[in-house]
Amino acid sequence: MFNQNLLRVGINPSGAITRRSLLQFAGGTAAASGTMAFLNAIGVNAAEMKKDGRACILCFLNGAPSQLETWDPKPNTENGGPTKEIATQMPGVTFAEWWPKLAQSKHVSLIRTIVGKEAAHERGAYHLRTGRRLTGTTKHPHIGSVAAWKLGDIASDMPNFVSIGNTEGAGFLGVKFAPFTIGTAGRLPDNIVSGVPAPRLDQRMKLLAQQDADLGLVGASAISNEHQELYKRAQKMMASPRLRAFQTDAEKPEVKEKYGKSSFGQGCLVARRLVEAGIPFVEVQRGGWDMHENLWQRMPTNAGEVDQGLNALLEDLKARGMLEKTLVVCLGEFGRTPKINQRTPEVGRDHWARNFNVLLAGGGIKGGQCVGKTSENGQEIVDRPVDVDDLFRTFCHCLKIDADEEMITPEGRPLRIVDAGSPVKELLA
Amino acid sequence: MVRSLPLTKSVTASLAAVALIASFSWSAPTPPPRPAKKKPPQPKLPDLKTPEDKLKFLEAIRASFPTIRSSNGAFTSADLDDMLRKYVTKETKTPFMPIVDDETFLRRVSLDLTGKTPTPEKIKSFTTDKTPRKRALLIDELLASDDYSRKWARYWRSVVFHNSAAPRNTVNPQAFEDWLFGEFKENRSWDRVVSEMISASPQRQKDVKPEENGWQQDYGPNNFILACERKPDIIASETARIFMGISVGCAECHDHPFDKWKREQFHEMAAFFSNGKYYMTDQDDPSKKSEVKAVFLLGEEPPSTLKPDQLRVAAAAYLVYNSDNYWFARAYVNRVWSELVGDGFYSVDSLGPDKDVVHQLIVNRVSSAFRYAGFDPKWLFRLIMNSEIYQRGIRTIDKPQDLFTSVRPARLRPYEVADNMERLTGELKGTRTGLERTFAQNPSTPQRDLEGTVQQALLMMNNGQLQKQLSNSPLKKQLAGIKDNDEAVREAFLAVLARTPSPAEIKRYSEYLKGSKDRNAAIDDMLWVLTNSAEFLVKR
Repeated sequence: MFNQNLLRVGINPSGAITRRSLLQFAGGTAAASGTMAFLNAIGVNAAEMKKDGRACILCFLNGAPSQLETWDPKPNTENGGPTKEIATQMPGVTFAEWWPKLAQSKHVSLIRTIVGKEAAHERGAYHLRTGRRLTGTTKHPHIGSVAAWKLGDIASDMPNFVSIGNTEGAGFLGVKFAPFTIGTAGRLPDNIVSGVPAPRLDQRMKLLAQQDADLGLVGASAISNEHQELYKRAQKMMASPRLRAFQTDAEKPEVKEKYGKSSFGQGCLVARRLVEAGIPFVEVQRGGWDMHENLWQRMPTNAGEVDQGLNALLEDLKARGMLEKTLVVCLGEFGRTPKINQRTPEVGRDHWARNFNVLLAGGGIKGGQCVGKTSENGQEIVDRPVDVDDLFRTFCHCLKIDADEEMITPEGRPLRIVDAGSPVKELLA
Repeated sequence: MVRSLPLTKSVTASLAAVALIASFSWSAPTPPPRPAKKKPPQPKLPDLKTPEDKLKFLEAIRASFPTIRSSNGAFTSADLDDMLRKYVTKETKTPFMPIVDDETFLRRVSLDLTGKTPTPEKIKSFTTDKTPRKRALLIDELLASDDYSRKWARYWRSVVFHNSAAPRNTVNPQAFEDWLFGEFKENRSWDRVVSEMISASPQRQKDVKPEENGWQQDYGPNNFILACERKPDIIASETARIFMGISVGCAECHDHPFDKWKREQFHEMAAFFSNGKYYMTDQDDPSKKSEVKAVFLLGEEPPSTLKPDQLRVAAAAYLVYNSDNYWFARAYVNRVWSELVGDGFYSVDSLGPDKDVVHQLIVNRVSSAFRYAGFDPKWLFRLIMNSEIYQRGIRTIDKPQDLFTSVRPARLRPYEVADNMERLTGELKGTRTGLERTFAQNPSTPQRDLEGTVQQALLMMNNGQLQKQLSNSPLKKQLAGIKDNDEAVREAFLAVLARTPSPAEIKRYSEYLKGSKDRNAAIDDMLWVLTNSAEFLVKR
C-alpha cells in the first residue's frame, strides 16, 4: 500500500518534488508496492539516505539548568553565589565545582552564549528540540525526527529515533519518524514478544490490514494508514535481532559502574548500545533542574550524575572509535537568572533565556573550544552571541544534513530544516 | 447601564454584590485599555470564608446578571445548521457529508455521552425502533445516565490534572472527579461549577499528615486550586487556559510573543489568588520585586479593601458573570464542540489573537446562546448533537475552510480504550494501568495533532494478560458456542466494534473460521484482529 506519511515530506529542493506532485504521482501509480518501490521509483535510494554512520545523542536536562552552576561559573561575584570554580582542559576556562570529570575531558567543547527566546518550560523545550518556536497550528519535527528521516534507514527493523523519556514528536513528518519512547533504560521494551508463532501472526496481520482498509474507505484513511504503519513497524521490531541493544545485562559490571547507577547513567549506556546498533538518534534525559528554590541543595546530585554518565559515554564512544561520527549534545530548555532570588526555604534562580550554555562533543566537534563570553555579572553577552538557529545549523553540519533542505508542511508550505543562522565555525574540526 | 436588582434573602450580600458588579468594565471588550472611573461607595462585604458563604454570594451576583434572565434567546439545532450551511458554503465547495445511519449514530453518541460503545442488545433495539424522534430521545436518555456524568467528570479531571505538577499527597483527583460527577448529574450550570473551583481556598491543616486530607483535598472543589499547587501564577494561567481558552502562561516571564497580553496583566490576574500582597519579580533583577494589585484580564478592578477570600470570589465573578467576558462561554463551547465534532473553532487552550478563530460568527453565536440558556451544560449537548453537523459522516479534513463539512474521526481517550477493552476481557488490573499510560494523551491537544505509537500497537498485539483474558472471556465462549460461522462473525462485530459487519466482512471471517484446523484458535484470531483494528480505538 502507498504510504500517506511520505506525502508529508518533500524529498529535496533540487528535485523540486512538492507535496502536490507527489500526490499526483500517487494518483497515477498508487499500486507501487511498498515504500522501497516507491522510493526507487522517484530515484531515492534508501541506502543513499543513510549517511555513513553519523549519529547523535542528545542529553536533555529537563527543567533548565543554571549556566552559573554548570559551565559558566561567576565565583567571587554577588551573582555567582557560593559556587566554586574548577579548572578545565580549556585554557582560562573554568566549570562549576560539580563537574570534575567533564572538566578533565579533552573531547568537550562549550558554547556559553546561546541566545534563547523562550523562558517557559513547554515553549523552551519545544524550541531547543525542534529549533523552532511554538506557533499556531504547525507541529514541527524534533531534530531527532529530522535525523531519523535523513540518516535512518526507512526500512529499518528498529526505530530510527529512540527516546528514554517523553519528548517532542515527529510533527508533520509523521509517525514513521516519531521517537520510540521507553521509560526505563536497560531492559527490553514492554510487550515486544509475540504471544503466537510467526506464521499465525502473519495471518492475523493480513486480516488486520484488510480491516483497517475498511475503515479507510469510510473516511478515516489518515488514521487507518497511520495505524497500519505502526503495526508494520511493531511487527518488524519484534523480530529484530538488534533488540538486544536495549538490554544492558551483557555489559560488564565495571562498564555499568563507570556510567553510574543513576537512570541517567544507564540511559547513556543504552544510548551508546543503540547508536552502535545503527540507531541514528537517541535522547537521554535528566530532570529536576527547575531550581527556583534550594538550588545549592539540589545541584550536587543532579550535576554529579550527569558529569559521570556523560563523561563515561564520551570515553566509551572514543574507545570504540565511534566518537568521530557521533555528535553528543547536552543542554536544557533555557538558563537561569544570574541574580539569585529570595525564595524560601532556600534561594534559587528563576527562568532566563537571554544567555545560557550548551556542551557539545564528538561528531566533528573540535574538543577543548569555548565559544562566547558573558559579562562579569553574567547578565550580558560580551562576545559572540549564538542563536538557536546557529546551534541547529551546527548540529546539521556535524550530522551531514543539509539544513537548507525543504520540508513540506501539511498546508503545503515549504519549510527549511533550519531557517536562518550558520554553523559555529570555531567548533568544527 | 441601569439594572434592576432582585430582592434576595441576603440584602447585605446583594448590596455587596452590586459593589462588585459595579467594578466590572462594561465598556471595551478588548484589553488593555482600562476605564478610568470613580469607584462607587463600597458597602462592607461579608467575610466569605466558607464555601457556603461564597456560593451564596455568587448566587446573588448571578441573580443580577442581566443576560441570565433574558429568555428570548432561543437558538435551536436547526438555527445552527442554517448558520453553518450559510457560512461554510461561503468558504468551500467541498460538499457536506451525508447523515450517518442509525448504527453509526448510536455508537458515536454512546461514546460521546457515556465513553462506552453500545451493547449488542441496544444496537438491535435502537436500529429496529420506528419512533420518528428516536435520535433526540436517545440523546436525552443518555444525558440522564450516570455514565454521562462520569464521562465528562473524567474529561475535566484529565484537563485539570494533565499539566499538574502538584505532589500526589496534596491532591485528590478522584474526589475532584466525584464532585464533578455530582455536579453534572444535577446538571449544575457551568458558571456555578467553575466559580466554585476558582473561589476555593484550601488551607494546610495543622498537625494533619498531607495525605490524610492535610490540604483539604478530599473536598472535591478544592482540587483545581490544589492542582495548581495554590500558586497564584499557575492558578492565573490555568484559569485563563482552561476556562477562557486563552494562553497567557508565557506572559509570566515576558510579554506574550504573539498576542496582546502584557506581563504586567498576567501578574495582575495572579494577584487575585495571593494570600497576602502580591509581588511581581523584576525581569532583569529577580532580587527586586514590586507590588501588583489585582486587576482582571479585561481590566476590571475590584474594590481595594478585599481580603484574600473575597478576592477569589471577585475573580470567579469577573470570570463567569462579566458579560464582556465572552471568552468564558466560548471556551466551554469550543471544548465540547471539539470533543463532539472532532475539530474546534480554535485549539482549545492556545487561542492567540481572535483572528485565529475559524467561523467566529458561529462560535460567538453559539456561545451567547449558551449564556442565555443559563450556562446549562445539557442544553449545549442537545444543541450540537441534534444538529446535522454532528450527525454527518466522517472525513479527514486538511484545509481549515473545509471544517464542519464532516465530522473528524477521533481517537478515544485512554480510559475509554481501557473501559471498552475491560468490557470484553473483564477487569485487567495492572494491564489497565499500562493501557491508560500507553494511550495517555493531553486532552487539550486537538484531535488532528494526536498520533498513535508503536508502543500502543505492541501492547494491544502482545500483552499476555490481555490476550489470555480475551481468550477466556464470556464473549469468546459465546462465539465458540455459535455453530453458524456467519452468525459468529456478526456477533463478534456487534460486541467489539458495535456494528453489523458488511457482507464482504462476513465472508472474509466466515471463510477464515471455516478454513481453520482449530476453530477455537481462529475465533481468538478474529477477536485479536477486531480489538487491534484502528476502528476499535476510534469514534467514527
